[in-house]
Amino acid sequence: MTFGALSFASPLLLAGLLALPIIWWLLRLTPPRPREEVFPPTRILEEIGKKEETPAKSPWWLTLLRLLMAAFVIFALAEPVWNAPDQPLRREGSLLILFDDGWTTGQDWEERKGTAERLLTNAEQNGQPVAMIYASDGAKADVTAQRAESWNSRLSAAVPTPASVDLNEIASKISDTAGQFTSIAILSGAVVTAGAPELKTALEASGADEIAVYLPTNAPLALVGVENTPDALSVNVERPAWTGMGPRIGTATAYDEKGRSLASVAFTLNAGEPSTVAQFKLPVELRNEIARVGIDESKTAAIQLLDERFRRRRVGLLGGGNADSQQPLLSPLYYISRALKPFAEVREPDGGDNLEAIKRLINERISTMVLADIGVLPGEATRELSDWVERGGMLIRFAGPRLAAGDDGQLVPVELRRGGRSLGGTLTWGEAQRLTSFGESSPFNDIPVPEDVTVTRQVLAQPDIDLEARTWASLEDGTPLVTASQRGKGWIVLFHVTADTGWSNLPLSGTFVDMLRRLVAVSNNSVAADQARSSSAGVVENGVEPAETLPPLQVVDGFGVLTNPSSEVRPLATSGPDAFVVSRKTPPGLYGSQEAFVASNLFNEIQGLERAGAEDFPAASRMLSYMEKAPTLIKPWLLALALILLALDCIAVLWMAGALRFLTPAAKLASLILAAWLIIPTHPSIAQTSGATGTSDFKYSLRTRLAYVKTGDTRVDTISRKGLQGLTRFIAERTSLEPGDPVGVDIATDELAFFPLLYWPISIDQPVPSEAVMARIDAFMKKGGSVLFDTRDQLSGGFGGTRTSGEVLKLRAILSTLDVPPLEPVPENHVLTRAFYLLGIFPGRYLDGKLWVEASQLDEESASQRPARPGDGVSSIMITSNDMAAAWAVEADGSPSLPVVPPNPRQRVYAYRTGVNIIMYTLTGNYKSDQVHVPALLERLGQ
Amino acid sequence: MAINIGSAAPHDAAQDVLARARARAALIPDLLVQARQIANTVTSGWHGRKRRGSGDAFWQFRPYSSGESMARIDWRRSARDDSVYIRDQEWEAAHTVWVWADESPSMLYQSENATVSKQSRAFVLALALAETLARGGERVGWPGETNPIAHRNAAERIAAQLSVVGPSAPNTRQRFDAMRSRSQAVLFSDFLAPIDETLEDIAGLAQRGIRGTLVQIIDPAEETFPFLGRTEFRDPETARKITFGRAESVKSEYATLFQARKERLARRCVKFGWHHIVHHTDQPASRALVALHLRLSEGAGELTA
Repeated sequence: MTFGALSFASPLLLAGLLALPIIWWLLRLTPPRPREEVFPPTRILEEIGKKEETPAKSPWWLTLLRLLMAAFVIFALAEPVWNAPDQPLRREGSLLILFDDGWTTGQDWEERKGTAERLLTNAEQNGQPVAMIYASDGAKADVTAQRAESWNSRLSAAVPTPASVDLNEIASKISDTAGQFTSIAILSGAVVTAGAPELKTALEASGADEIAVYLPTNAPLALVGVENTPDALSVNVERPAWTGMGPRIGTATAYDEKGRSLASVAFTLNAGEPSTVAQFKLPVELRNEIARVGIDESKTAAIQLLDERFRRRRVGLLGGGNADSQQPLLSPLYYISRALKPFAEVREPDGGDNLEAIKRLINERISTMVLADIGVLPGEATRELSDWVERGGMLIRFAGPRLAAGDDGQLVPVELRRGGRSLGGTLTWGEAQRLTSFGESSPFNDIPVPEDVTVTRQVLAQPDIDLEARTWASLEDGTPLVTASQRGKGWIVLFHVTADTGWSNLPLSGTFVDMLRRLVAVSNNSVAADQARSSSAGVVENGVEPAETLPPLQVVDGFGVLTNPSSEVRPLATSGPDAFVVSRKTPPGLYGSQEAFVASNLFNEIQGLERAGAEDFPAASRMLSYMEKAPTLIKPWLLALALILLALDCIAVLWMAGALRFLTPAAKLASLILAAWLIIPTHPSIAQTSGATGTSDFKYSLRTRLAYVKTGDTRVDTISRKGLQGLTRFIAERTSLEPGDPVGVDIATDELAFFPLLYWPISIDQPVPSEAVMARIDAFMKKGGSVLFDTRDQLSGGFGGTRTSGEVLKLRAILSTLDVPPLEPVPENHVLTRAFYLLGIFPGRYLDGKLWVEASQLDEESASQRPARPGDGVSSIMITSNDMAAAWAVEADGSPSLPVVPPNPRQRVYAYRTGVNIIMYTLTGNYKSDQVHVPALLERLGQ
Repeated sequence: MAINIGSAAPHDAAQDVLARARARAALIPDLLVQARQIANTVTSGWHGRKRRGSGDAFWQFRPYSSGESMARIDWRRSARDDSVYIRDQEWEAAHTVWVWADESPSMLYQSENATVSKQSRAFVLALALAETLARGGERVGWPGETNPIAHRNAAERIAAQLSVVGPSAPNTRQRFDAMRSRSQAVLFSDFLAPIDETLEDIAGLAQRGIRGTLVQIIDPAEETFPFLGRTEFRDPETARKITFGRAESVKSEYATLFQARKERLARRCVKFGWHHIVHHTDQPASRALVALHLRLSEGAGELTA
């Protein structure tokens, strides 16, 4: 039973709702049980009672509450499910699942997978044998029925194939198994793929009792080709066509190599229009950065990758004379490189002869070669160059005196007359000629003809029948200024003037830049691609011609994400029948090496995709759609609601019986707060600490305070606090220092900078602080703070003793991440022994433990001569095992908290003195040791 | 479940009540009941009758007349002159006080605010009064249980009798009938029985020349009516039930009625020259005892014929 997205597993139980009126009637009649009270003056009440009508019915809201409760329980028992899964397939017989994992499925992969999982689960529950075929398996598909659960692992590992699938093989497999399966479930993709009619035939002949076809509700958009025109990068967007296509809008985004978004353009597919073009109108420089174009709304492999063919061109420059380098700012190459640099990568070989330079430039995989006024090249260089042009290179030549003097007739587009002509000079007849037109078919076609470009000298072409066609720009008198001819895949372009201002002012005009830009844009990088191919010559595949494959560099997965290729991916064939074929083994992606790669895209032209529909499957099949949302069981919520209502009912009954009157207002408030606290989860402790930090920092910074580390062991912390209180009191009495109340610090969160000394008792139960916390401690010690560790275990061995107690082990664990300097027991003449009191021992609660401090760096000889050891700085670490705080600890009335061991009152006094010395030492440092010099200083001052 | 405000307390053991009564009685001075009408009884007591009679206190010397007992001649006085004098003592008579505490089930009621049940309080007060009176030499009796006893351990004997008989042997009317005329009666009760019956009983007593004091013992819950919500009230005597949907709604009405009842009782007492004392069980027992003491002893020593 289904109502929209809501359905009931046991709808018959809803009949229980019919009982609601009866329940209502019963509830109305049954008032809540009153509280019974013995009351002697009931007679008086009887006199009143005659007047008042006692309500014999429950209040309406209580009845409503209870009715609702009953209704909820009934609904819950009917097991309602939101977004219930479709009617499962037949519960007996064998099931065949055909899972289309073609390129269109990345879009709604999770739903498909979920649907397949449900099918498998149902089959598992019913004990049906299942065969599961993935469309991409093709001929390898295994059509053997197995236990349903055996397919789960394969399903969970399945990913969409970034290629079109061919159903021909599948269709024949299915027809082979005709009559074997009672149910067939087809999880179809969005488009009609190859072999769909065969599949239909096979399904019709399969003899299955039922065929369920899951069709996606949405068809993905595909990018089916990209083109880098001079103005814009345009991509073709296509969608699977079907009758009744509505308008659709989308956004295409271009990304650079690192995956950063460069630009987004919106496109609109009008109703009934299967494809459109999205254009990225960006500066060429930015366009060159584009490495990938994808559709935001689409999560499929149908993206477009751009390789060198769409990239910024690499241009090689080669000049004529050696003298050029003497006046670099006037050389033709200077003009050219200035014009090219904004949009191309200019390579100028430094030194070497022309042949070597040409070889090197070709090796650098330039797409365009500019030769400025070079007449004749060595034969080998000519061969290299013409070979390169044949492969797709663009050779741009500029005329000049040397070319005019003679050319080899090979690398020029037209035959040239020997010697140039000059115009407008003193010895010439004509005037300087202006540039008047660009050839119709030339790349310069859309450049506006400049008014001010004049030519005073040029080389002339021999009149020829092809001359007109080869002329890309001509002068007033019809003589060509730029000629071009195609050689193989490449071009040879000749400017009949020099690249400097000697023959014309063309190099000074903006038109020059535009012309070069068009030329470079026309040049394609197939040369580079060819290079990549030849560079992968070493890869040997079984049965494949070695030189014709490219190793995968990065591939597109089924979701349109560039990833590293898996071991399944085979090198891409670049020739032969399989050249650039996108398949499961050769998914779309980048092939080649890091320097030179070819992009292989899923689609390079409009495909004429068709959307899969009911007509592509046997008429008897049931059309279903993928589940978008997981089913939600409402039963627990309803039951919980009923329970809440029950609780409310209890409270209401209690209230009506007057039980709540026993609660004082304070108790009511408290219970409200308790309820609120239970309902609203809060983190009051965190809020409190964060709020208090500022003020406590302020407080701690105003007064010197002793501080101890909170270990989390309440007993230890209490002793620490009391101990430092006792010490604080002692210090205030005996010295000029009057510390504030001691502070327990949480080393993980509290700011430590305010405390000169941290007393850190070691407790076995204490967790070892994390490295981040110890880094704080390290910083504290490095910046001048001292830490007094107290292992408190003198009785059981103590620090530095022969036995190792648990506290010492804990201390070791704590210090393991600290940069601990070498330690020594306090030497006889250490400042600590005379910082305030003269002390020989440093007792705490226990007597014999030694106080360990940083070993002073001084050699023993000089140390022994001085009354007090010099040494700058304060030992950042002190370790004792005497349980100092326990000896210092006092109760509120000033009496000691704990006895000292052995019970000698003197020992406590010494313990306090030790504390004073330690505090003075940490506060004054080596001041005391400097005091020994006072007599000498006074003597020097002459007093 | 809700905790009830009131409950029926168990009967207190008479000896226990006696001990508590003694403790209370120890706090107040001996009680001399004011007696305007003193029964014509030969029992010696401490109420001077302003006339010649048997007693301890000197009253007058009078000349001996023949026929009188020679033993009564006061020889010391007679030796001072020629006449022979007889020493007369003042006639001192003991007064009879009937002490009675209601034993009806309604008296067993004790609410949460009260420290003891009404009955417990009533018995304590009654026995304390008996103890005090006995100390003062009065004759104390418990109608229906004992005749008036003029002995210092009168309270003890009453308590013993009560514990033997147990509460509620004869009914109230029979007990009242047992009181002799021209005596004092101190009645401890909640007076929650139908008011007309109560007034009739009082009138009957008054007609027999009995002067009385009504000590109305009220549980605080009966006065304040602290009930809320749906409540079923049950009469402990008649076991009749009445249910209110919202008990708080009848509070004021109840208070009015209850107050009217108290006032009616008080007016009737004034009419008969009786006293009416209201005592709540949440107050200390000694308070009621002091009030009783004041009422009973006011004008003590006055003599009216």
